[in-house]
Amino acid sequence: MSSSSPFSIADLSVHYGTRLAVRDVNLDIEPQRITAIIGPSGCGKSTFLRCLNRMNDLVPGASVSGKVLYYGEDMYGPNVDAAAVRHRIGMVFQKPNPFPKSIYDNVAYGPKLHGSRKGLDDVVEEALTRAALWEEVKDKLKSSGLSLSGGQQQRLCIARALAVHPDVLLMDEPCSALDPIATARIEELMIELRQDVTIVIVTHNMQQAARVSDTTAFFTVEVGDEGGRTGTLIELGETKTMFSTPTDERTHNYITGRFG
Amino acid sequence: MTELRKAFHEELDGVRASVIRLGAMVTELIPRGTASLLDADIEATARILASDDEVDDLSLDIEDRCYVLLARQQPMASDLRSIMTAIRLTGELERSADLVMNIAKATRRLHGLTIDPKLRGLIARMSDQAQRLFMSAIDAYADANADLGAAIDDMDSRLDDLHAEFIRTIFAVYSTNGNGAGGDLPAAVQLALVGRYYERLGDHAVNVGEHTVFMVTALRAEHLGAERARLRALEQEASGVPPSADDDR
Repeated sequence: MSSSSPFSIADLSVHYGTRLAVRDVNLDIEPQRITAIIGPSGCGKSTFLRCLNRMNDLVPGASVSGKVLYYGEDMYGPNVDAAAVRHRIGMVFQKPNPFPKSIYDNVAYGPKLHGSRKGLDDVVEEALTRAALWEEVKDKLKSSGLSLSGGQQQRLCIARALAVHPDVLLMDEPCSALDPIATARIEELMIELRQDVTIVIVTHNMQQAARVSDTTAFFTVEVGDEGGRTGTLIELGETKTMFSTPTDERTHNYITGRFG
Repeated sequence: MTELRKAFHEELDGVRASVIRLGAMVTELIPRGTASLLDADIEATARILASDDEVDDLSLDIEDRCYVLLARQQPMASDLRSIMTAIRLTGELERSADLVMNIAKATRRLHGLTIDPKLRGLIARMSDQAQRLFMSAIDAYADANADLGAAIDDMDSRLDDLHAEFIRTIFAVYSTNGNGAGGDLPAAVQLALVGRYYERLGDHAVNVGEHTVFMVTALRAEHLGAERARLRALEQEASGVPPSADDDR
C-alpha cells in the first residue's frame, strides 16, 4: 500500500442486504493511468466502482467492509464527508445524464455548489475545452444540454465532472450508448485527460479496454453453494500482458470468448 | 460458449489442421525431390513442380482464412498467437516447398552427369535429416509442444555438419589437382547449391519450431539475443564507449 496511489483497496467486500455482491478485493490504483475493469455481467465491477466514491452509500441496504484508502486516508472513516469525497472523485455514467438545464449551467453546477462563483465563465470554458466540446458549443451555451447529440451529451457530462477539478474520474460504461465515432472521441479524450486525472473505467467492451487502458483488472462471478452469485477480482496486470499472456485461465477464457 | 464464438474456435482448429496438412505436404516432397535428382528422373521433376501449385493453393487459403479471422473476430492472447503462428508457418512452409522445387530442378541442370558416389550418399543423408527435422517441427506444432519446438535448433546442427562435409567433398572431387572429376565448375556449383537448399530447409524447420514455441509460450528465441543487445547497449551507454559489433567476441 502506498499513499501516492489514489486508491489502495484491501479486503473490500460489499453486501446488498444479506447478499454478498463483491468479495475480498485487494488492489492498488496507480495515478495518471487508465485502469479498466472488465468481466461478465454480475461480476461486481460496477458495484466495485461505486465503492470508490461512496456511491453505494446511496443504495439502500448496501454495506461495505474492508478498507478503501484514498491517498492513504480511509475513505469510509467516521469523519469523512461523502459529498466531499465525490467532489474529488467524479463519475460519468452509462447513459449521458445532463441536467435539464443549459449547457453552461450543467458545467457551472458543480463549481456553484461548491461555492465558487468567481470566474465561472473561465471555469466553464476550461472544462468544456478539456472535454473536447468547447468548439462545438461555444456559440450556444444557453441551449439546453438535452439538445446535444448522445456523444456530445456524454462529453458534457465529462465537462461537468471536470469543472470541479477532480483527481479521479470514474467511468461506468461511458460509451455503451454511443456510436463508434462518438466512442472514439471519448476514448481520445480519456487518453488526453490521463495526464492529470486518474481514470477508472468499467467496460463491457474488451477491445475498448485493450485500446485505452494501461492497467486491466478482471473480475468474475462465482456461484456459491446456495446459488448466491458473488463477484471477485481474479487478476490485475498491465493491459498489454492481460490481453496477450494472462496468468489465470479464467481471464484467458474470458478474453478469448471461451465463456458461458 | 456462444455459437458464434464456438464457430470461431472451430475455424481456428480448421486453420491449424490445414497448416499441419501443408507441413505434411512439404515433408513428403523432400524425399521425392531427392529421388528425382538421384535417379535423374526428369518426369518425376515435372510431377513435383506440379505439386508446388497445390502447396501455393493451400498456403493462400490459410492466409485468407487467417486474414478474415483477424478482421472479424478480434482474437486475443493464445488465439491471436495461434493465428500469427499459422501465418508465419505458412510463409516458412511455402518457401520450403520452393527449395524442394529447386532441388528437383537441379535434376535438369545436372542431367547427364554421374554424381560421385560419396556425394550421392551425402545428398541422401541430408535429405533424410531435412525430412526428419520437418517431421519433428510439424509434430511440435500439431501437439503444441514447446520443448520439441525448441529442440529443432539443436537437431539442425546434424544437417549443418552434413552440409559442411558435402561442401568439403565437392572440393575434393572437383579439385583440378585431385584424381576426381576435376574442373567441371558448372557441375560443382550446381551441387553446392543443392547442398545449400537442404541446409536452408533445415533453417526453415528451425523457424517452424521457434514459431511454435512462441505460439505456446509467447516467448521467442530472439528474445534472448535481443535482451543481450539491450544489455550491451546499456553497458556501453554507461561506460560512454560507442557500440561496436566486435564487443561480444
